[in-house]
Amino acid sequence: MKVLKVPARTIAVFILPCLLLYVCLVFIPILVSIYTGLLKWDGINQAEFVGLANFREMFLHDPVFWPSVRRTLLYAVASMLEIPLCLAMAILLNRYLRKGNTLVSIYFTPVILSVVIIGQLWKTVYNPTSMGGMLNGLLISLGLDSWTHNWLTEPKIAMFSIYLVSLWQYFGYHLLIQYTGVRNIPDELYEAARIDGADGIKADRYITFPLIVPIFKISMVLAFIGSLQAFDLVMVMTAGGPAHATDVISTVMYNNSFLSFKYGYGSSIATFLVVLCLVFTVIINFLFNKLERKFS
Amino acid sequence: MVQKKSKTTFVWVLSAALALTLAACGNSNNEGSDTGNKDAAANTGTNTKETTAPANTSSDKKVSITFQNIYPDPAAPSYKMVHELSEQYEKEHPNIHIELDTLNTDQQKVKLKTQAASKEVPDITIVNPAAQMKPFVDAGLFAPLNDMLGQNGLKDTYQSGLLDYYSFNDKVYALPDGNNIEVVFYNKELFEQAGIAKTPTTFEEMLQDVKILKDKGITPLAIGEKDSWTGSFLFMNILLRTNGGPGFLQDVQDGKRTFEDPAFIEAVDAFQSLVQAGAFPDGATSIDATAGGNIFKSGKAAMWVIGSWETGAIDASSVSGKVGAFQFPTVNGKGDPNEFMLAPGSAFAVSANSEHLQETMDFLNFFALNLPKKQFELKNAVGIGQKVDGDLKAAGYSDLAINIAGLFNQVKGGDLAFDNTMNPATAQVHLSSIQNLFVQKVDSAQVAKEHQSAFEANK
Repeated sequence: MKVLKVPARTIAVFILPCLLLYVCLVFIPILVSIYTGLLKWDGINQAEFVGLANFREMFLHDPVFWPSVRRTLLYAVASMLEIPLCLAMAILLNRYLRKGNTLVSIYFTPVILSVVIIGQLWKTVYNPTSMGGMLNGLLISLGLDSWTHNWLTEPKIAMFSIYLVSLWQYFGYHLLIQYTGVRNIPDELYEAARIDGADGIKADRYITFPLIVPIFKISMVLAFIGSLQAFDLVMVMTAGGPAHATDVISTVMYNNSFLSFKYGYGSSIATFLVVLCLVFTVIINFLFNKLERKFS
Repeated sequence: MVQKKSKTTFVWVLSAALALTLAACGNSNNEGSDTGNKDAAANTGTNTKETTAPANTSSDKKVSITFQNIYPDPAAPSYKMVHELSEQYEKEHPNIHIELDTLNTDQQKVKLKTQAASKEVPDITIVNPAAQMKPFVDAGLFAPLNDMLGQNGLKDTYQSGLLDYYSFNDKVYALPDGNNIEVVFYNKELFEQAGIAKTPTTFEEMLQDVKILKDKGITPLAIGEKDSWTGSFLFMNILLRTNGGPGFLQDVQDGKRTFEDPAFIEAVDAFQSLVQAGAFPDGATSIDATAGGNIFKSGKAAMWVIGSWETGAIDASSVSGKVGAFQFPTVNGKGDPNEFMLAPGSAFAVSANSEHLQETMDFLNFFALNLPKKQFELKNAVGIGQKVDGDLKAAGYSDLAINIAGLFNQVKGGDLAFDNTMNPATAQVHLSSIQNLFVQKVDSAQVAKEHQSAFEANK
């Protein structure tokens, strides 16, 4: 095979514009934010350098912080658990339906809707009975009166109600990725397997899974990192309330920076979030590289 | 050969693109700092001259004044007020253009904060009194308005003492759009339906009424507690009573008392008894303030504890004519109903760095002078912070408006809202702590402790 020989200089020219944009718009703000995290600053007046005091406060004294981390991680795990389901669905669609594409497009619809619209939509679904909430209405008409809840205002349930909306919204997204991955596996492989007597689950075990691992990984990383940063849906539906019951890391960051006028403290939470994303990306990549090596 | 040439061209094109990207990067700082002020950027050529020349000689130059405001609802009288006054001023001063940047309250708060961080406050913006505007004043973002207040007798139009809430070191930094009190609006028809003959004068009676209304399937008290200030406003009225008068938060700030004071704990308990009696709508914490108000305005709730600024809006709603208002009752026999939660309004402040400071001051002077007249015309004069000439009754104001105006005459003093008194960080802890009372029963001593430790941490 002929490998294209390109001088390093040319590569640099091609990469530089994007790299510069990236540095300007992403990297420098992150560095600034890390620095701001070391300040006691209301965002307006003179800042005071306090070193790691914000981080000490965050890790040791803030009663809101750790619960929000727990909720965020649970959010991320929940959104990862949905992906095997998407894969199974993609395989079934690919195997039994000729018009799979249409169906996938339909599942994809929620992804293109604005999160604000999704939030408002589900708020009306979750509303209490007295305000005509659809979910409660449905439960009552099924005779399950005792199952009704104030889905978004009972502290124990509220967060799970939000998880569910998020899973619903991104199901189509991950399904599309998995479906495309499955479609790209050449049919000849399956035909050859059938001749050898491997069909159905067995074919999936030895052909589909090994070949889909990289795609699967992309979905996993996207889902995980995406939900670590979850903000908009929570903001629209509950704004972190009632009384912090649905606060995730990013809403705590927002509330501190913009409502409590603790911009420095908010930035230190942002720093934590960046590090968390970084660490988990590395971990997921590491785990999947192992998996890929095992299959290949 | 040909291939090589095209390759070189390609590299050149890319380098050009690269240079452009770099330029964009370098410029981003300048662009960012102009966000509050689009037209100013377009006018940069003339700006330098204008600031040096006296205002009246530059009368033929086009000047644009950005007016950030929080009156987005076209049906509301205040929206009409801002638009009509701006248009009138533009007509009289053809060289001035008033650029209205209209946002809702929450958006405006965040936008202003972001603009303040880059020291680019719009020419005129909106702030809340006392503690909430202090960080901005400390940073020197606002221009003192004392000189301008002296012109055309503007200062004398304000009710005595009102401007103090907007003054720091004897300088006035903002002009309020209103001066309100917290009252209990009630729906006379629903009270009648439930067989309640007279409005409650004690908290115990109020609780009793809540239970009666609840039994009849009527929501007793409307509220939208997703915006947590609404619950806090009501709670603070209870505290005003259990404390036997105003000044509790001031005492805490002066170190004379703590949040673990019996008066505070008693107020938390009283508030919880209201929640436990089912006074508020289901899922109150997921309803925002506007939707909460609509529960009352559409005749589904019997009472609404809110500021008198809603008078005009209630008159314009479907329950108009059926609504009366009364003072918040005494709690456990304590407090004086003639002491109210006071709500000096959101206020207009001028940017100290404004490119057209003189023109902005002139406009605001005109605006503030004419505001009471215009509000009176629009039947929205109840609760404004300036003296109004004219007979409400003769001008066709509703009974409710006259009722509220009567309550104003009884004001013997009171307290400001929590977030106008305490620093923002403590206020946020307070707001979510009160919000929590709506969804679960909490030990009142625990609530007090939470407040105290937040106060100490953010002193």
